[in-house]
Amino acid sequence: MVSIAIPTGVLLEGARGLLDSSGLAELGEEELGRQLLVERGRVRVIIVRPADVPAYVDHGAADLGIVGKDILWETPGSHYELVDLRFGGCRLVLAVPNASALDGPRTWPPLIRVATKYPRTASAWFEARGQAVEIVRLHGSVELAPQVGLVDGIVDLTATGRTLRENGLRVTAVLGNSTARLIANQASLKTRTASVQSVVSKLREASNHAAP
Amino acid sequence: MRRWGYRHIITPLVEAMDVLDLGLGVEQRRRLFKFTDGRGDVVALVGERTVPVARLVAGKLRTTALPLRLCYAGPVVSTEESRFQHRRETYQVGAELIGASGPVADAEVIALAARCMEATGIRRYQIDVGHAEFFHGIMDAVRLPDDVKAAVRTALGARDFVGLETLLEDTPLRSAEHELLLRFPALRGGLEILDAAGGLVRNERSERALAQLREVYGLLTEHGIGDVVILDLGAIRDFDYYTGVIFEGYGPDLGRPVTQGGRYDGLLARFGREAPATGFVVQLDLVSEMLTRGARPPELPRVDAAIAWRGATGLRTALRVGSTLRLFGMRAVVDTESRTPAAARTWWDAVGAANLVHCTDSSAVTWSARGERARRLPPEQVAARLAGGIA
Repeated sequence: MVSIAIPTGVLLEGARGLLDSSGLAELGEEELGRQLLVERGRVRVIIVRPADVPAYVDHGAADLGIVGKDILWETPGSHYELVDLRFGGCRLVLAVPNASALDGPRTWPPLIRVATKYPRTASAWFEARGQAVEIVRLHGSVELAPQVGLVDGIVDLTATGRTLRENGLRVTAVLGNSTARLIANQASLKTRTASVQSVVSKLREASNHAAP
Repeated sequence: MRRWGYRHIITPLVEAMDVLDLGLGVEQRRRLFKFTDGRGDVVALVGERTVPVARLVAGKLRTTALPLRLCYAGPVVSTEESRFQHRRETYQVGAELIGASGPVADAEVIALAARCMEATGIRRYQIDVGHAEFFHGIMDAVRLPDDVKAAVRTALGARDFVGLETLLEDTPLRSAEHELLLRFPALRGGLEILDAAGGLVRNERSERALAQLREVYGLLTEHGIGDVVILDLGAIRDFDYYTGVIFEGYGPDLGRPVTQGGRYDGLLARFGREAPATGFVVQLDLVSEMLTRGARPPELPRVDAAIAWRGATGLRTALRVGSTLRLFGMRAVVDTESRTPAAARTWWDAVGAANLVHCTDSSAVTWSARGERARRLPPEQVAARLAGGIA
């Protein structure tokens, strides 16, 4: 039995599609809404919050996990990141109000204030550029923060840019590109190599076929 | 470990930061709990004990002839909570073989680690054996600009194979070494993996590493643990620290290695006594987690006799019977309050002891064993029978 943790939210549909096309497990949409743990043949699928996927994998509660790269930036662990599954693409960007004078690094104030759900990634990025930064950690509606004068800009994930536009924000820098990744527990890879690797190659193959 | 000739040593939990600075990398230093002592010097709680052992070997034991076989046990702490399963503290048992190089020494330490894992009660386990030089050789041979090499090391250190692939895709020169790096997690198996890798690497460092691994594997078979050893050329460890054969022990159903070790020939020189060295630690917390997973909470220690009493004379007799039984190596609990025979039986059940001795006067006591009728006997006879029955 190989267990796979998949995230709720935007990546759930993609993960479901991949499990389906790889022939590992066909899961009905309704089924996923009702159950958090589904067993199909030799695969057990665990549905958890996106940010919890690395924890399940690192502790060995799941052998494999499907998770956005954005989550991995924030929670590095002892897992192996094996495959870029190429769905759920989005960018982590620095966005400022349309009216703001902030643009490239030369226009940044000595201490820039930034709101984000990704404090670790954001501070590392600014630090690498020699920029002092004050991170305001928010848990939701980050777009609101610059409009009410809380911060100079935000670091947030965007797929289409629509939410940013609707909130009068424009992108001034891209911190990174995120897609769904397949991660593996180190001990699972080493102690049950054959069964785990066979699931990995099925998923890898299916994601190669699905990719445009 | 005594049976293998390893001497038990005790190193302090608190070490001077100056000492630890010599042996630890930046990351490891960052994870230490640090504070100052009375003189204002910075000291820290140790996060591992190999560096303190190295200090001892290069200091107090500097006139002792090598090789030295040392072992130790004790707590270590880390500020990083995720490091030891969300605890700041864990308990490590370790051994170091200092002053011996070569496959025979490597195999001895791996075999000892295997026996230690067995001794903890783990029934199924496996030991992955790799070699730090195999990786170093590849990194020497692979043709990449220095900044890309650094990025490759970082990606491998983070076990980020997606990032690694992206890095290597952008480089025009592709060689067998590129493929090896990408296939790192899959470079595992028996002796056949050495042949497969030998056909791909074209550099002396890696080839020498493969030859050593072959020798170590042979010796481990002689040690009788060939069936639990898996060769893992893609083992990812702290490559700045380890210089030779490295290994990790895994138990069933636990997401992390319980044993880690390897050769670190560079460390002792930093303390002024150049010597090759190899060693390992077993994480006892992880072992106990593995053994008790899903099981009921740990059982209370078995108690041989519950000794109840009534009145001042009864108490005196009870205390005497208690000490006699303990002299015979039995576990005896003497009650803290006076009880009637009926209340004593209830208390007996709560204690969960095998026998109940109820004392009311000095000449005779009431002895009940589980499932047997109570008997009234002189205290000396009860003690003798209990001791005889258990011995």
